Amino acid sequence: MVLTLLLAGPATAAPRLMTLDWTIAETLTALGMPPLGVAQTAAYRDWVAEPSLPDTVVDLGLRVQPNLELLVDLDPDRILISPMFASLEPRLSHIAPVTTVSLYAGSDALWPDLLAATRKLARLGGRPEAAERLIATTEARIADLRERLPEGERPLLMVQFMDARHVRVFGEHSLYQAVAERLGLDNAWQGTTNAWGFSLVGLEALAGIDAQLVVVDPLPVGVEQSLADNGLWQHLAAVREGRVLHLPPVWSFGGLPSAERFAEQLAAALEASRSRDS
Amino acid sequence: MKAIAARSPLHPRLTPARACLLLALLTLALAGLTLHDGIGLDAAWQGLVAPQAGQEAQWVAHFSWWPRLAMALLGGGGLALAGVLMQQVLRNPLAAPTTLGVASGANLALLAATLLAPGLLVGGREWVALAGGGLAMGLVFALAWRRGLAPMVVVLAGLVVNLYCGALAMVLLLFHQEALKGLMIWGAGSLAQTDWNGVVYLLPRLAIAAALAAALLRPLSLLELDDANARSLGVSLKQLRLAGLGLAVFVTGCVVSVLGVVGFIGLAAPAIVRLLGARRLGARLLWATLLGALLLTATDLLLQRVSGTLPTLIPTGATTAALGAPLLLWLLPRLRLSGQRPAVSTGAPVRRHSAPVRRAGLLGVALLLAAAVALCLGQGADGWQFSLPGEAPALAWRAPRVLAAAGAGVLLALAGTLIQRLTGNPMASPEVLGISGGTAIGLILAIYLLPPMGPLGLLAVGTLAALVTLLILLALNRRHGFRPEPLLLTGVAVTALFEAVRSFVLAGGDPRGQQVIAWMSGSTYYVGPGSALAVVVLALLLAAATAPFARWLDLLPLGASTAQALGLPVGRARLALLGLVALLTACATLVVGPLSFVGLLAPHLARLLGFSRARDHLLGAALVGALLMVVADWLGRQWLFPQEIPAGLVASLVGGAYFLWGLRKL
Repeated sequence: MVLTLLLAGPATAAPRLMTLDWTIAETLTALGMPPLGVAQTAAYRDWVAEPSLPDTVVDLGLRVQPNLELLVDLDPDRILISPMFASLEPRLSHIAPVTTVSLYAGSDALWPDLLAATRKLARLGGRPEAAERLIATTEARIADLRERLPEGERPLLMVQFMDARHVRVFGEHSLYQAVAERLGLDNAWQGTTNAWGFSLVGLEALAGIDAQLVVVDPLPVGVEQSLADNGLWQHLAAVREGRVLHLPPVWSFGGLPSAERFAEQLAAALEASRSRDS
Repeated sequence: MKAIAARSPLHPRLTPARACLLLALLTLALAGLTLHDGIGLDAAWQGLVAPQAGQEAQWVAHFSWWPRLAMALLGGGGLALAGVLMQQVLRNPLAAPTTLGVASGANLALLAATLLAPGLLVGGREWVALAGGGLAMGLVFALAWRRGLAPMVVVLAGLVVNLYCGALAMVLLLFHQEALKGLMIWGAGSLAQTDWNGVVYLLPRLAIAAALAAALLRPLSLLELDDANARSLGVSLKQLRLAGLGLAVFVTGCVVSVLGVVGFIGLAAPAIVRLLGARRLGARLLWATLLGALLLTATDLLLQRVSGTLPTLIPTGATTAALGAPLLLWLLPRLRLSGQRPAVSTGAPVRRHSAPVRRAGLLGVALLLAAAVALCLGQGADGWQFSLPGEAPALAWRAPRVLAAAGAGVLLALAGTLIQRLTGNPMASPEVLGISGGTAIGLILAIYLLPPMGPLGLLAVGTLAALVTLLILLALNRRHGFRPEPLLLTGVAVTALFEAVRSFVLAGGDPRGQQVIAWMSGSTYYVGPGSALAVVVLALLLAAATAPFARWLDLLPLGASTAQALGLPVGRARLALLGLVALLTACATLVVGPLSFVGLLAPHLARLLGFSRARDHLLGAALVGALLMVVADWLGRQWLFPQEIPAGLVASLVGGAYFLWGLRKL
């Protein structure tokens, strides 16, 4: 919250930005220049949550089909999209200039991509210095957390439950791995992943990996109950030995704000489990 | 004699028993290889008999590998059993659990429960799935009841219910993709197991079902006789069919609720066994069940070997469906489809109107009014606003969509009228031909495999895919002179492939899935002024091209022989009309996506309004179609503002309501 105080400077004739992409929206908000319109704001509040959008943000409708007439009325100076929404560009460009901010392109280094996207967004918002501030505070905070974590932690296995039998396991190209690396933690998942940095696997794929299991909530309905009498889950080494951490929900395809939140929560959970053990 | 008659037409030496034996050996070899490369044979054996504490590999074998094998065997066997029963009852070798709506009904029920009443899922999601599947199948029965559950009517009703449940599922997905991502895996049929609960659930239920099937063996065999003969033996056909189908639904529901949607085993296993020479019901039940179990298990083992190298799960259910669709196309010419045709009727009782021109005039006025409202009235940042047709929002943003909606409505309505008259079947619609599905497959592949592209690129891909689908349709149906039944069944195969591809890509949870869903839900969203004009011009041109066929369309519903006797070149006429339908459907699909029921609805409504002769019927249907789509498009944009419900889906909702209301008349 030091962060928001630092960044909430007076807005001087800032351009009216709108975006369809939640990652762009959270980054803009953290930069202190929240977009005037975001697609599916209610779902953003459920799945991204932090940084929270101001109440004045207008809901533009579905991410894949934002309401064009509403956009015209709101008269944005610029509409920001990610490459996923490229098919909308011809229609949107009749309303305002459209800029594509590339995120999660499956390139080798997610972190530099995130920094570049943050800088690009700040530049578009007319306050390039805000990016440097956000980057500096985020990296400083993560470095600080890294100091507090002891050396020699087990590698992490970071998963999100899809149903009682399948998880997304996060690896290369993922936000979670990028953060873990910065905290000096190894990722135990060495399998292939898609451009968004996850692989969809059955629970059995987690067996035989010596790791600290990190479950990112929310759990789908009914999964908690069925895990209780799920034979395979109960016999995973990590579960048997009580090495399972549950983290509150963090947007898994997020930007720097989500990265910092994940780092905070991961570090806090690791510390808590250490103090339990000792 | 019997032995010779039972010889397989495929290969003289290959009997069902030998085929099963071969497949069993293959499955064993695959299982051995998988274990050898993975868990290890010793660990697997230890895991089966007595897993030791601390030995993780043995527990994986115990709670994952062995239950998965058991579930594949049970599920495959169960689906094949259900398939034999359905095919026997419907006297149609192409009936199968997934084609009759059970799976999609279950799917829809689970989606709805997840969003509206998650508490229900805690009690056990198999019950929710069973209820949904039962309801969908009940709807199919209700649709076909008046025709004594005639085979062709049941299959088509199943397809319509399938498409309808699919459309509703799309609405839910469009608005709640994040919350529903887990269910996409279920919908694609992953066999991964984590304990023995599934086996414990399925085994007793399948055992009971098998016992009941054995008990029904004799009466069900009588269904091979024709209706009159069977009736003369004192069999109540309706009750017998209901019992047989009910049993099949129960089995399907049980399997589907624990394994997810597994396509085509229920269709392929019975068909293969029949081709291998099994004739009597008892033999078919036995060998098909075995073959189905082995087929699913072998597929699943193969997939386990390759899936480790990919970043996503390859769901077994969607894979069998995708493999099964070409198999079905190959089987089509080899199966003797019983010529069971429902009594020719194009639906509602015909009340011929004395002055169709005046009616058409009224419809035209209604259409203009609707278009005017849609142009002038809409919501914006400051709530409802009225703007004159000349002003910017109306002209730039609303006009293209109104025009595109009307054009697509005309195209689909004409296609629907043509295909219903061509096949003499009231439930035929452009979607059913598979051209929409084929176009959708092409677009999905383009979105996933090619770099992100604009609407023009997608349009090119879509057109190409529509053409390829049409060529396949024509090539496969040439042999029998484009007879209606095989034609519709080719469409069933393509649509099934489309559903497989869709569930395959959605299961992975790739965020691009949203784009696929948005396009598939059928919206006028992407239409600009240029393409809107193009659609309208195309609609008018094709409408003009349809008019000269009016005489043929009057004659064709009378049946092939009558039409032939009256001097109609039936084969050529069918080919020409089919080509026209394909063209109409492809154009409309590119604008509003593959899911809309306008092609089904508009001809019915036009008929209800008294447009009965072909020329009037075409005109009336075109007007009704345009009106429906304009209203649906406008409603969809205003209803949940700022969220937009795609026009195709609103039209489907209206269509579903009409269907339920008109059940008695079908």
